[in-house]
Amino acid sequence: MIAVLGLVVGVVVGLLVRPEVPAVVEPYLPIAVVAALDAVFGGLRAMLDGIFVDKVFVVSFLSNVVVAALIVFLGDKLGVGAQLSTGVVVVLGIRIFSNAAAIRRHVFRA
Amino acid sequence: MNNDENPRSEQPEGGAPAAPDAPTPPPAAEVSGRQRLKAGLWPPRLSRAQLIVAVLLFGLGLGLAIQVRSTSDDSALRGARQEDLVRILDEVDDRTQRLEDEKQRLDDQRTELENSSDQAEEARKQTLEKERQLGILAGTVAAQGPGITLTITDPSGAVAPDMLLDAIQELRAAGAEAIQVNGVRVVANTYFSGDAGDVEVDGKKIEAPYEFTVIGKPQDLEPALNIPGGVVQTLEKEQATVLVERSDEIVVDALRPAQRPDYARSSSP
Repeated sequence: MIAVLGLVVGVVVGLLVRPEVPAVVEPYLPIAVVAALDAVFGGLRAMLDGIFVDKVFVVSFLSNVVVAALIVFLGDKLGVGAQLSTGVVVVLGIRIFSNAAAIRRHVFRA
Repeated sequence: MNNDENPRSEQPEGGAPAAPDAPTPPPAAEVSGRQRLKAGLWPPRLSRAQLIVAVLLFGLGLGLAIQVRSTSDDSALRGARQEDLVRILDEVDDRTQRLEDEKQRLDDQRTELENSSDQAEEARKQTLEKERQLGILAGTVAAQGPGITLTITDPSGAVAPDMLLDAIQELRAAGAEAIQVNGVRVVANTYFSGDAGDVEVDGKKIEAPYEFTVIGKPQDLEPALNIPGGVVQTLEKEQATVLVERSDEIVVDALRPAQRPDYARSSSP
């Protein structure tokens, strides 16, 4: 419950405060958000499976974000930034879908 | 991601919905996922796990909001990647170049049109000027300028038409540009007829005294009339009196109708 509240508060603060993102971070923000979404879905599924460990969630969340940003950074340096970030988004999207399917089976039993 | 250690994460989609073959302890399998979700949501418990997840989700929500905002309220350039920006810049440069070229072309066109209209105006002016000059020669417009008046009184009625014609020829030879005799404009096809004392110009009878109004250079016209054996002496032999007066402002205002030739056409282009 408190976790859901944290998400809601984050969205509200982001919309109201309108913080200025440093230019260095800016290109990595969208991909980092997608990676974090993947981690959140994974965590939700693990919770429904009853194997949720907060330490694992924190590590996976942060490493997901860092690795995604790193891949984009590397892609930019290699000159294939656009293609690589598309690839990352596709992979993360597939994972989000499979996690969502597992969650759906838990919640709706279907 | 945190179920990386979970062997079931590799499980295919169509796997068993429950987890009878999972390595988790059997008592945990009795609690369904739905119950766990309910328990996690309500009542809210302030546990360490909940707090940490809340902090991370706060960060996620923040990033999400910032990203949505920056892609929605700013132009598309903000989220664009470097190579996209370079491409867009190139396109803008190309477009600028094309527009510059077009502007150059249109400028040239405008200059050309202005020049041609200037030329047309110049040609029109020249045509008007020429028309005026030809009008003076043809007698269709009035003329004014320096010249002389030649007055011939003929008390004995002895002045013949050919003497008047001689006077006209002499004046023309001396550079007269416009002549009228007693209100009749003298042009190229003017003729004198009749007898002495009964003179007709272009079929119109004129009476003595004969008054010639002549535009030309007075210093040329007067001596031309007065040369020995010239017009004045010939006339004075017939007991006519001749009076020549110079003037700076002579007006020749007798007009002739402009005639349109029926057959002759200009052959110049």
